[in-house]
Amino acid sequence: MGKSHTILAVLSFSLSVPVVGKESVSFNRDIRPILSSKCFHCHGPSEKSRKAKLRLDLQQSALADRDGTRAIVPGKLDESELWHRILSDDPEEMMPPPESKKPMTKQEIELFRQWLKDGAEWERHWSFGALEKPSVPEVGDPAWSRNPIDGFVHRSLRNRGLKPSPEADRRTLARRLHLDLTGLPPTPSEVKAFLDDKSPDAYEKLVDRLLASDGYAERMTLVWMDAARYGDTSVFHDDGPRTMWPWRDWVLDAYKNNMPFDQFTVEQLAGDLLPESTVEQKIASGFNRNHATTDEGGVIAEEFRVEYVVDRVKTTANVWMGLTMECAQCHSHMYDPISQEEYYRFYAFYNNNADPGMQTRRGNQAPVVNVQSADQRKRKEELEKRDAEISKKQEARRKEARKAFDEWTDEQFLNAGEKKTPVAPAGLVSHLPLDGFEKNLTPDLVRKDSECRLHGKAKPVGGAKFNGGLKIEGNGYLEVKGFKDPQWNKPFSYGCWVKTPNGNQNGAVFAKMDEGNSYRGFDLWFQNGKPGAHIIHKWQDNAVKVVGKKKVAAKKWQHLFITYDGSGRAAGTRVYLNGEKLDHTVEADGLTATIATDKPLRLGRRFGTSIVNGVEIDDVRFYDRELTSIEVQSLSGSDQITPLLAISASDRTPEQTKVLFDHYLHSLDKPFRELGKERDKIGGELASLGKTKITSMIMADNPANKMRKTYLLMRGQYSSPDKTKEFLPDTPAFLPPMKEDLPKTRLGLAKWIVDPKHPLTARVAANRHWQTIFGRGLSNTPSDFGSQGSWPTHPDLINWLAADFRDNGWNVKRAIRQMVTSATYRQSSVTRAEHLEKDPVNLYHARAPRFRMMGEFVRDNALAISGLLKRDFGGAGVKPYQPPGLWVEVSLSGGRKFIRDKGEKLYRRSMYTYWKRSAPQPALMAFDTPTREVCVLQRQRTNTPMQALVTLNDEQFVEAARHFARRILTSGAQTFSDRLNFAFEWATSRPADQLRIEVLQKFHDEQSKVFRDDPKRAEDLLSVGESPRDAKLDPYEHATWTLLASMILNLDETLNRE
Amino acid sequence: MSNLEIQQILSRRKLLQLGARGFGALGAASLLNPSLFAEANPSSPFQGTLAGPHFKPAAKRIIYLFFSGGPSHIDMYDYHPEMRKNHGIELPDSIRNGQRITGMTSGQKSFPCVAPMFDFSRHGKNGSWFSEIIPNIASIADEITLVKSVHTEAINHDPAITAINTGVQQPGKPSMGAWLDWGMGSPNKNLPGYVVMISKGRGQSQALYDRLWGSGFLPSKHQGVKFRSAGDPVLYLSNPKGVSRDMRRSMLDGIAKINQAKKKESGDPEIDARIAQYEMAYRMQTSVPELVDLKDEPKHVLDLYGKDAMRKGSFAHNCLIARRLSERGVPFVQLFHRGWDQHGSLPSKIRQQCEDVDQPAAALVRDLKQRGLLKDTIVICGGEFGRTIYSQGKLTKDNHGRDHHGRCFSMWLAGGGIKAGFEYGKTDDFAYNIVENPVHVNDLNATVLQCLGIDHERFTYRYLGLDQRLTGVEHPKVIPELLA
Repeated sequence: MGKSHTILAVLSFSLSVPVVGKESVSFNRDIRPILSSKCFHCHGPSEKSRKAKLRLDLQQSALADRDGTRAIVPGKLDESELWHRILSDDPEEMMPPPESKKPMTKQEIELFRQWLKDGAEWERHWSFGALEKPSVPEVGDPAWSRNPIDGFVHRSLRNRGLKPSPEADRRTLARRLHLDLTGLPPTPSEVKAFLDDKSPDAYEKLVDRLLASDGYAERMTLVWMDAARYGDTSVFHDDGPRTMWPWRDWVLDAYKNNMPFDQFTVEQLAGDLLPESTVEQKIASGFNRNHATTDEGGVIAEEFRVEYVVDRVKTTANVWMGLTMECAQCHSHMYDPISQEEYYRFYAFYNNNADPGMQTRRGNQAPVVNVQSADQRKRKEELEKRDAEISKKQEARRKEARKAFDEWTDEQFLNAGEKKTPVAPAGLVSHLPLDGFEKNLTPDLVRKDSECRLHGKAKPVGGAKFNGGLKIEGNGYLEVKGFKDPQWNKPFSYGCWVKTPNGNQNGAVFAKMDEGNSYRGFDLWFQNGKPGAHIIHKWQDNAVKVVGKKKVAAKKWQHLFITYDGSGRAAGTRVYLNGEKLDHTVEADGLTATIATDKPLRLGRRFGTSIVNGVEIDDVRFYDRELTSIEVQSLSGSDQITPLLAISASDRTPEQTKVLFDHYLHSLDKPFRELGKERDKIGGELASLGKTKITSMIMADNPANKMRKTYLLMRGQYSSPDKTKEFLPDTPAFLPPMKEDLPKTRLGLAKWIVDPKHPLTARVAANRHWQTIFGRGLSNTPSDFGSQGSWPTHPDLINWLAADFRDNGWNVKRAIRQMVTSATYRQSSVTRAEHLEKDPVNLYHARAPRFRMMGEFVRDNALAISGLLKRDFGGAGVKPYQPPGLWVEVSLSGGRKFIRDKGEKLYRRSMYTYWKRSAPQPALMAFDTPTREVCVLQRQRTNTPMQALVTLNDEQFVEAARHFARRILTSGAQTFSDRLNFAFEWATSRPADQLRIEVLQKFHDEQSKVFRDDPKRAEDLLSVGESPRDAKLDPYEHATWTLLASMILNLDETLNRE
Repeated sequence: MSNLEIQQILSRRKLLQLGARGFGALGAASLLNPSLFAEANPSSPFQGTLAGPHFKPAAKRIIYLFFSGGPSHIDMYDYHPEMRKNHGIELPDSIRNGQRITGMTSGQKSFPCVAPMFDFSRHGKNGSWFSEIIPNIASIADEITLVKSVHTEAINHDPAITAINTGVQQPGKPSMGAWLDWGMGSPNKNLPGYVVMISKGRGQSQALYDRLWGSGFLPSKHQGVKFRSAGDPVLYLSNPKGVSRDMRRSMLDGIAKINQAKKKESGDPEIDARIAQYEMAYRMQTSVPELVDLKDEPKHVLDLYGKDAMRKGSFAHNCLIARRLSERGVPFVQLFHRGWDQHGSLPSKIRQQCEDVDQPAAALVRDLKQRGLLKDTIVICGGEFGRTIYSQGKLTKDNHGRDHHGRCFSMWLAGGGIKAGFEYGKTDDFAYNIVENPVHVNDLNATVLQCLGIDHERFTYRYLGLDQRLTGVEHPKVIPELLA
């Protein structure tokens, strides 16, 4: 190929009129784009800016007689005013006018001349007309073609004098399919299996296996995350956290299960409005909660509420219809037939969402739905299964224990005569009967050296539960000095008699607690009349709190008791009211450290707060054991058991025996009790599983009686509604109307979008699928299918793909499969001279595209090749390596800090990286990942020095290189070339050739010497990254191979899909 | 794809440049990569996507000193002696004029006007007022144009800071620096064309966002590169521990050899671009540390920037690095200094802020001038909005706050193409409304583009059906009065 030859070819390609082959000028391809960009501003759909009442987007207007002149007279240049105006150089006459700063080029003028001469044929804008399936062109080369796609591609190649490339070799195909369908490279054994599979459908089998994999769902979801402007933070002002990954997981599941695209659409746009919608459908509707929201103190909420509606309109129109509907917010669309009024009719579909303009910076803003994570679901199932197992064991124990029980009751019966009252429980460590006071002091009957002193208005009262008692008034209390702290990991029990002035008592009956030190200590607690307890190391991260589900009765002496088994769990903590064990709610569950505090025990309050004014207290007791229920009952005087024991076995009714047996098992039979404790623990964890709520934000409309009216906002300003006319929801007139039976709601809108008659939805989706697989859409403006959009390279093909997709159940996997099984796809990507001459950008597919992987996949590949990749499907975002300080230096008063995850979370696929949208992960940003503050349907693909710095120096990539080196050195391969072949098989799916071996062998020999001469270097390099290095490996060899591995990870052939 | 679009990709100029230089080694896909072309024609004033300037440029580069949080124009620049008389009176309805105010003070029952609690004096030939808290900036009065009538629609930080940096309040658009990097490119191939530095102020810090220096819909290579005061000056710049520069050289040589082989096998011209980018990364590894190493700065220069000149992460330090970047031809350097959001305790806090910025900002202008750089470098200084004449919270003898105010605020410009010793725009006695010569934030940007030789109306990029501009869809205008 001569240099000058190439230059000339490219020049002529670009600068000549793109009349290719024998095709004549096409209105849609050649003329409309010029009219649109240079004329429609004044002669297009927008009434406001229209000049001379002339519309060039409508044939009728363009051809109309206007006082004797006509803008366009088909076939007659001289009579066409437009032609004269284009040629004129008189500033008053010329078109476009000089102030537009959009002069016509010579090529454009030539195109107009040709078109006018040829008869000025008009065409409807290609994407707005009904979608019909074109016939598949006869294939010029039937031996080459594999499916209908190839017919279209081949015809277009033929017209340009191009031929398709030969099929790529099988290694290339294996790697290409893996990268395109999953974003991950094949393992060497996967490549080998494909090479060894000689069956005629080996290729299709591989495709089907990949389409069924988690990797496929992840790959497709990543693209959709860009479209959905997905992030883990709220964007504006504080950019605080939110939890939307349940929505992302919904998308993962949808792709995995191949949900039809129409259902995928309806559930995301209006899942909440479906009849009896499921939790999943509500989660899906969160698509339109992913947008940026604000929490800035000074905002005017309505301004932002309107912003959110505008964003939803824009995103829906861009993503599903390829319409830039947002242009009509302030004035009618300049290029496409969407008036400002129509904009606000469309806007009305979204104008009744219930979420407010001012949103929270602390997590999710209502409306939300509660969800269970996969982990939670899994744990719940595990626990329930375990509980059932233990329950069975208890049943078995029940049978075993019968004999011992009978012996016990017999023995008790024999003793019953002597024992009129139950034995007082052992383990009493403190007892304040509160019967006598002397100089404000009252004794502790057990701890004689305690000092128990009245303070303030608390006073002794007579006629309490047992003789005297204590009444708390005003700020009075009784303080016990020298009270020994119970220990968090040993059992204890405590309680007293109490009389409250009302049934909704709040506060601490007594407590030993330091409120100033995160409430360390314990108390006997009233919460709105319900008794409970806090046992706290640090509220509320390290504490137990339970509250009984029953209220105390007012103005009556009642017995309250807490027992605790030393387990640090709510399940080991019981609340008794008058001897009855209460069901309780758990408000904190997990105590693992001391509850000791310098503060004294006080009756009537905590140390300084939670005063129980008017409450009377009597007979306070502390035990250093977990009392059994019968013991508590006996203290409360409600003992049912002791009388039963005085009845002989033969005289007891079966019910009485059952009561006794249950009591025996639960209180006295150690094996049964142990099992019971285990079940209590499970119960506690199940309860707290339900409590750590994960929510996902969803769409929800205002109630029917609070529906907002929609008005046109003048100049698009939230503050300038034109209240003279209300706009009801409706769709633009240039598109087929909504079916009569569809409601004028978001649900109706969603169903209209996927109506088979909708001309845009299928075309836009098919184009996006093509872009996903081939790296570039058939139309290069995936979010603009209007008149300013890009004319498709293969108009018939895009129509065929769209109709085929629509007519086959909107089956996404089928559509993708169709593309990757075409001969077009299977071509070699080698660029030849004639490609550079005739199609340098590869618009027409005379070769397969070769391009650098998406940023996420660059990192995923390094992790996969090195063996570090952790494959978990879905779940909350993770925080892998990033340089320190990046959040703090930009966050509101330094309030948001990045805390790196540890262990396996460092090695998840990059799509799970926690996405903070004001300061996103910089290594991914260097590789063109969008911030996702707004919807993005097409990523840039740049090539920059920053990318080289990331893949060479980022801790993540250096660590990956170290692990890759380990994988190579422990592979069993012994010679340098065997090792290198192994490495290249992983990175590029093929062994190294002679040149690569020579280059890298030379490097190896030089560098291993460097490391041996300077051992510290090896140690340093091998210490990069959190994971430990393999100490069994020779450090010099390991370090040398780490550099080799880094080089291989940085090769163009590793970074590119080819 | 239409002819127009193909032309957008393969612009005529690039092809002509190639034709002049020879095409072979670069290959066709590199047509997509402007930076490679830049090397093709070093004599052109622009190295980016624009074929060349629309007019003769007066300046080649910008240093933008951005004070984030909304510095009070009233306490620094926009002084009216009548403010003293009005001190303590309720803001007259005729002045407020139904204007919306933020959610932070809209519930306030009283809006007492507050005169600045600082002395003001006149400076320069033009006799402009300056506050006692910015004596050094006052001393360069004859170098600058003070614009007192900048305005924005936004009344809160996030939308306002986004609007002034990207042209619209909503996210998604490229920043000014990204536009310039895309359009103009950089003559320096060893440093990024758009550098951002952040310094922490002493007051309440409002958040900053990547979008403020982001590339929006432009190729992401044009996003601003942050120079950082801790760790690597540019992220990921340093070789891993244990890897020397020689070792890195050997690695890159090996990679390049294999990549060249791959180029032969695949015919993909983009591989040449990759090799070139790895080389540029290698050069950056020395050029950036050299740049931020101030050991060759003489004492009198360090003294000029003040006591913090050598303190990494300070505004003074960043100003000095900005000068060094401009010296090396970097076209757009933007400093964000935080901490100007004085809703309360304004008198003490703004004084502290000014202590940190006054001397270095003035020093930068002087330093550029003495090096002959000011004539083709524009220095811009200001924030996203100003503050209200009325007190937020209680007004006491020596204390008060001020809320956000977008209806007028002050910025100053100096250097290439900008009038020196000039003042433009007038506000009423309450520094509340503009009474003369309004300058919208987009007008200001349009004017600055003009200085660089760019017609903001022809500086467009087709995205979502529109020929998008830095200066937005309204009709911003260049302010010729500001131009020298």
